[in-house]
Amino acid sequence: MLESSSTRTLARGCAVLALVVAGTTGCDSGGSGPAAAKSTTLKLITGVKSDPFYITMACAAQEQAKKRGVKLTVDGSAQWDVAVQRPIVDSVAATRPDGLLISPVDTAALTPSLAQLQSAGTKVVLVDTTVSDSSIGVSRISSDNEAGGRTAAKALAGLMGDKGSAIVISVKPGVSTTDARIKGFTEEMKTGHPAITLLPVLYDNDLPATAASQIQATLAAHPDLGGVFAGNTNTAQGVATGLQAAGRQGKVKVAAFDAEPDEVTALKSGTLDILVAQDPAGIGAQGVDQAIAAIEKKEVSAQIGTTMVAITKANMDDPAVSKYIYKEAC
Amino acid sequence: MSTHVPGEADRAAAPAPLRPGRTLPGWVRRIAAMNETWTFGVLVLLVAFFTAARPDTFLTRYDITQIATNAAIYLVLGVGMTFVIIVAGIDLSVGSVLVLSAVLSAEYTIHHGGAGSGWGTVAVSTLIALVTGVVWGGLQGWLVAKAKVPPLIVTLGGFGAALGLAQIITGGQDPTGAVSGELQHSIGFGKLFGQIPWLVVIAFATTVVFGLVLAFTRFGRYTYAIGSNPEAARRVGIDVDRHLVKIYALTGLLSGLGSVMWLAYFGTTSIAGHSSDNLKVITAVVLGGASLFGGRGSVLGTVIGVFIPAVLTTGLIIMDVQQYWQDVAIGIVLVAAVYLDQFRRRGRERG
Repeated sequence: MLESSSTRTLARGCAVLALVVAGTTGCDSGGSGPAAAKSTTLKLITGVKSDPFYITMACAAQEQAKKRGVKLTVDGSAQWDVAVQRPIVDSVAATRPDGLLISPVDTAALTPSLAQLQSAGTKVVLVDTTVSDSSIGVSRISSDNEAGGRTAAKALAGLMGDKGSAIVISVKPGVSTTDARIKGFTEEMKTGHPAITLLPVLYDNDLPATAASQIQATLAAHPDLGGVFAGNTNTAQGVATGLQAAGRQGKVKVAAFDAEPDEVTALKSGTLDILVAQDPAGIGAQGVDQAIAAIEKKEVSAQIGTTMVAITKANMDDPAVSKYIYKEAC
Repeated sequence: MSTHVPGEADRAAAPAPLRPGRTLPGWVRRIAAMNETWTFGVLVLLVAFFTAARPDTFLTRYDITQIATNAAIYLVLGVGMTFVIIVAGIDLSVGSVLVLSAVLSAEYTIHHGGAGSGWGTVAVSTLIALVTGVVWGGLQGWLVAKAKVPPLIVTLGGFGAALGLAQIITGGQDPTGAVSGELQHSIGFGKLFGQIPWLVVIAFATTVVFGLVLAFTRFGRYTYAIGSNPEAARRVGIDVDRHLVKIYALTGLLSGLGSVMWLAYFGTTSIAGHSSDNLKVITAVVLGGASLFGGRGSVLGTVIGVFIPAVLTTGLIIMDVQQYWQDVAIGIVLVAAVYLDQFRRRGRERG
């Protein structure tokens, strides 16, 4: 982490420089970018500007753009709100970029703006989230959530020693991403780890206090409980508190999604045992590649699912794994 | 009344059921006439049911202290809400005020030692949380009493504004190092005499103190008087406006206390985790026999009202009931408990 931060600072400085003096070659770090693409302009609009997931995605996209020798600028909405994101999209449309990478915060409301952009010649790539109209976007890149659920199940079963009971405590039913994660988790547990008893899914409605009492009641009913798969950070926090109050922290393993800085702190302190990290960097870099391919009229993959990685206390210092930890700044 | 009210005659003609016989001793009748007795009966029934269904688990492995710990914070919020509902008000802002208090006290902790800070920091950050609650609650009380804005609107605005401020301060992310480890280990997970969790002790003390205040002091009598008839209260010389400000400030104070307990137990501000605290707490108060139209309610009732949903959810999980059925069961019990209370009230008011 430390040694690469100086190169990142350099990269950021270069990106700023590239913006000021478009076409300068002074920052070329020996990338394989074709000289013809120098004038190509890309734009990235993320979901929430301050979210480490999107910051990581934006950093990687910027790095990749520099490597490929194209100009990329990043913007994002302040909140997860289509009323905030739409004006940004409209102002970007006015600048007519060659390519647009966007994480739409609504599945329908942005469709007219994006269709207009597309008909004006901009290649649209949907990163992380999508819109329901399938005619929008030359490529859609997001995490393979079912695979992520399977990754979580494998890692959790490993820490549980393939025995005992496991439970999923999720936020609420009917959310496509978390439902897919639970599906993958359940399938993997049933087929790959039949010795583990999977209890019925509980939902805490994003309330840590509910998760805390749910986990304690579950512990009472199933003293052999060995693993919990928590839907999000709030749930994981509630589960951890409940386990600590019951004196079972460390004995019951907790897996959670994402690898935001506070979750990494929780992993270090032993509150969480497994983080299943998405690959926002991969999404951002591939988004840039796909946009360039579309602009150069080369072959484009319509759908890309990125993998997820299980981070544990044991492997978190391995550079191959630690690169998946989300960043708060480039 | 010259007009015929449909149903009135039928009800009067029907035999009055469940009325205690005249032969029962006076203290039995008095207890049976208490609002709390009936809801307490529902709670006892639930406990008996789960104990019978899972004798090796309910109230043994999963014991009363665990239920009480998980209910402690809602109990503290519920005590404040009881006062507000008795004066025919409502406070939708409790969860957000809790978050704002937690965030402001966390900001102090972060800049004064973070997770490794000592008791000095704990004392100041606790004070910050309590003062934030009192100031915010007092401001809302002033708007209700002096500016005559309906409490539903004032506290709905307060609900959004307090949460918004908390998000502005933190950028929407729960800050790390928000709580002193000392506070977490001693209050959050510590136990008095190694037996009773401190959270439960704090909630119990708050409940007893304010239960006595409501039942036996002038402050309490004024609260009931204003709730029953604010105009009459004003005419007998009660400073109604000032009393209202005090009551909303009290709810704020208890939200601040709740935030300290939250930080101690969960170790984080959980900005996104309090959106439905208000409904949970209001449900508990109403379940405990308080009237949303004011003038009626008690702290003891609220205690029972907090415990009924708590026992129900944990009991159903212990019985491995699917979550969707849990929600159905909780809905039915809530409505049934309030119906039973209304049914009995009607009977009493008739005879």
